[in-house]
Amino acid sequence: MMELHGLGKTFGGKAAIADLSLRVEDDEYLTLLGPSGSGKSTMLRLIAGLELPDTGRIELNGEDITTRPTHLRGLGFVQQNYALFPHMTVGDNVAFGLRNRIVDPVTDETAVARRVGEMLELVGLQGLDSRMVGQISGGQKQRVSLARTLITEPKVCLLDEPLGALDANLRERMTVELRKIRAALGVTFFHVTGNESEALAMGDRMIVLDEGRAIQIDTPDAVFHTPASVRAAKFVNAYNILDGKVEASAFVHGDQRLALPTGAGDAAHYALRIDAPEIEPAGTTTPAPGRASMMATFVASEFMGSRVVHFFKCSDGALFEVERHLSRSDPVEYRGGEQRLLSWDLDSVLLFDASGRRIAAAQTKGAA
Amino acid sequence: MQQLTATRWVLALYTALFLAFLYGPFVVMAILSFQQGPEGGPQFPIIEWSTFWYKHVLGFAPPSRVAPLPIGEALTRSLTLAFATMVVSTVLGTLTAQAFRTHFKGSGFVFYLVVLGMMVPGVLLGLGMALVADQMDIARTWWGTAFVLHVVYTYPFAFLVMLAIFNRFDKGVEEAAWALGVPPGRTFRKVTFPMIFPGVLSAMLFALTLSYDEFPRTLFTGGSEVTMPIAIYGTFAVEIHPNLFAFGVLTTLFSFSLLAIYGILMSASVRRANARATGIQEDVA
Amino acid sequence: MVATPDIAAPSAPKQSFLNRNRHYVLLAPGVIWMVLFLIVPLAMMVYVSFWTQTTFAIKPDLTLKSWATFFGSETYFGALLRTLRIWLTVLFLTLLIGYPTALFIGQFVRNKTVQTVLLVACVIPFWTSFLIRVLAWRPMLGKEGAINIVLQKLGLIAQPIEVLLFTELSVIIGMVQIYVVFMVGPIAFMLARIDESLIEAARDLGASSWTIFRKIIFPLSLPGVVVGAIFVSVMVLGEFATASALSGRKVNLLGNIIVTQVGSLKWAFAAVVGVVLTVVMAAVITGLLRIVNLRREL
Repeated sequence: MMELHGLGKTFGGKAAIADLSLRVEDDEYLTLLGPSGSGKSTMLRLIAGLELPDTGRIELNGEDITTRPTHLRGLGFVQQNYALFPHMTVGDNVAFGLRNRIVDPVTDETAVARRVGEMLELVGLQGLDSRMVGQISGGQKQRVSLARTLITEPKVCLLDEPLGALDANLRERMTVELRKIRAALGVTFFHVTGNESEALAMGDRMIVLDEGRAIQIDTPDAVFHTPASVRAAKFVNAYNILDGKVEASAFVHGDQRLALPTGAGDAAHYALRIDAPEIEPAGTTTPAPGRASMMATFVASEFMGSRVVHFFKCSDGALFEVERHLSRSDPVEYRGGEQRLLSWDLDSVLLFDASGRRIAAAQTKGAA
Repeated sequence: MQQLTATRWVLALYTALFLAFLYGPFVVMAILSFQQGPEGGPQFPIIEWSTFWYKHVLGFAPPSRVAPLPIGEALTRSLTLAFATMVVSTVLGTLTAQAFRTHFKGSGFVFYLVVLGMMVPGVLLGLGMALVADQMDIARTWWGTAFVLHVVYTYPFAFLVMLAIFNRFDKGVEEAAWALGVPPGRTFRKVTFPMIFPGVLSAMLFALTLSYDEFPRTLFTGGSEVTMPIAIYGTFAVEIHPNLFAFGVLTTLFSFSLLAIYGILMSASVRRANARATGIQEDVA
Repeated sequence: MVATPDIAAPSAPKQSFLNRNRHYVLLAPGVIWMVLFLIVPLAMMVYVSFWTQTTFAIKPDLTLKSWATFFGSETYFGALLRTLRIWLTVLFLTLLIGYPTALFIGQFVRNKTVQTVLLVACVIPFWTSFLIRVLAWRPMLGKEGAINIVLQKLGLIAQPIEVLLFTELSVIIGMVQIYVVFMVGPIAFMLARIDESLIEAARDLGASSWTIFRKIIFPLSLPGVVVGAIFVSVMVLGEFATASALSGRKVNLLGNIIVTQVGSLKWAFAAVVGVVLTVVMAAVITGLLRIVNLRREL
């Protein structure tokens, strides 16, 4: 069990990490969503001991490891570019840590060979141990990097954008594989990524990192349905967010007045999941009771396989997305420039105050 | 670049002439090495073609009034000196370049201090060292005063080569090794060094070549037991004979064949490494 | 749930390992070596230049006598001027002669292997000992030397050219040939690194070849020119062997003077000449490095 307390690191006057505190449990899959510039690489390097923090503490199972050198931390680190040893075979790469680590190196070569064989089988690379690393594909390189780290049985395994360099197909398969491998070994994975679908799909728990701070720590479900702040909502990439203010119990956005759920307070941001709005039939100008609505102009549709995203333009020119899953109905065609009424259940509105924080009182829908 | 075909041909011709200019003296030297001996001198015309001088250099010629080249011992000394210089300057160069991998205060000063070693003409350094040796009553020897100057000269070259190698070196593999629990010392031995070794090798080769032919510094500090270039310089004052040219041709051919062997070994090992691969697999999970 | 800030006050971590010291351990051997065997000899040379010179020995009594002798004497001051003149000539010639070859290798040869082969071909003559190469010029330049023989055979001249050997010209020819490679190497290296798309873009915009050369190729090769110039300058300014072998003692460069003065144990005077040479070198290198930095700022 690892804890970060108030970690801070500044580079050249700018704080990459500021007052970062979080807790990593045993035997869990923890993901961290951090867009570029959020400081996630810095954070990983601080945890791994490749950089020293300016402030704060890192504790591993009760011991303070903040200033301990990297090779004595007992953590695993799978790097973004895999960093395989180019002058060694796959087998030697995987065995390297076992043979050469300072704490408990394995000197019995038969034991090494056995464990390497087992690990290669676990990651699906059986039979490749005598291949040179220059002769394997990207996906295989990633598995070698994983095997090399996991064979040393670290307490926590840090993964830096492990799926970033893989194509979409492979990425999907590795998503399942990584969870399987982790569960089989009982190691904690701390998986850091800038890809929101990856972070949402893979974690038991998820952290959202913004400009060096953790702005939400929750289950992926909770992050997705109830983001703690406007920025978290933006990172999740599934919300329409309209800016404005509350005036006479309606939300004013440009020249539109949107209905508000109760307990709105003084909301400054009005957010709606992109699959929440309905596109009313042509000619409808008023919504059903208990629903909010807005007129918008159709721009274009984007087909993405099992779903389609319709893009609309609000009266102030901002884009508004409506997502439809095609399992429920066939795609509807709209004419460019046509005006339609978009309506949605008041329960699905999320409100955020001027500082970006979600107004909890107004929330009624969403998973618990 | 079609319009430039004419320019290309002109430049190609120019380069050919340039190479002729570079090789001119060598060709002349090679021709004259077949001068008749022992009466023939190191100038045209060729009185008679003969391999006398080659025999003379190798010690097979019948005795004549032409003294054999004072090589032999000088050659051994030069090789030993070159070898020692190579080892020391490569070690120094690698250590210093390793220090430069992370920024530190005063790095500019250290950089120019080291590079100064290759920018100061040999005369000056030789003079200075001779003065120091004299004043401090230290004897001037090829293995002492000359040796240290050889290193001063070659160490900057080794340093720059290693600096360039480290610049292109991906630190990630070292970090990966540390993260696996391998301490920095062992990481350097097992990960970093094998990867930078080709660079180390070229630094060593560079240092060896520079030291072997080094002349001005050694002139002032070498003492009475001379190295090869000093021995040859000694013949400047007295008469020179075509045996010098035969020697020059032989050493050039020797260096050339060494490089050819090196090239063949390199390409053989590259081919062997490729043969071990059985082709890249498709990206299957 | 939002992350709650930690209650305990975090503190700045201490450096518990000798990270700071590691650097100096690595640097110490090299720095110490250079200070002892580079700085000290040079400093000694400067110091001794102010010593009193008796017939065969020097005493540490400070005086400017040797300096006055140097600058007051026609011969010695003249040697300084001659050294500078020859240096500039050789520098200019190596640049002029070497640049087109570097241009060919760096820009017009596309195949990397051929590039390497050509560069190696330029380097091979180096494997003949420097001094032997210098000597090999004598049978080339003499009255009955190879050049005269060839030119006469080709009918280009009736009488052998006498001025080729044992003159300043022979020294210049010898030096240019020996040092021109140091120009070709760095320049070819910089030229080979020029991004092809830059030239293509310029061509698409309608630039003539000459303009492309003047505004793109040459400026980008300038760092190589400066590096080559530094190499050539260092070697030429410190030269004495070529001058001694090819000019029959007629051409006296600063390097020659140092050698002869040391031969007659006139250490103080040799030191003066050495300091003069050092100052010249420092000025030249600083000046050359200015050019490159200026360009980089542009």
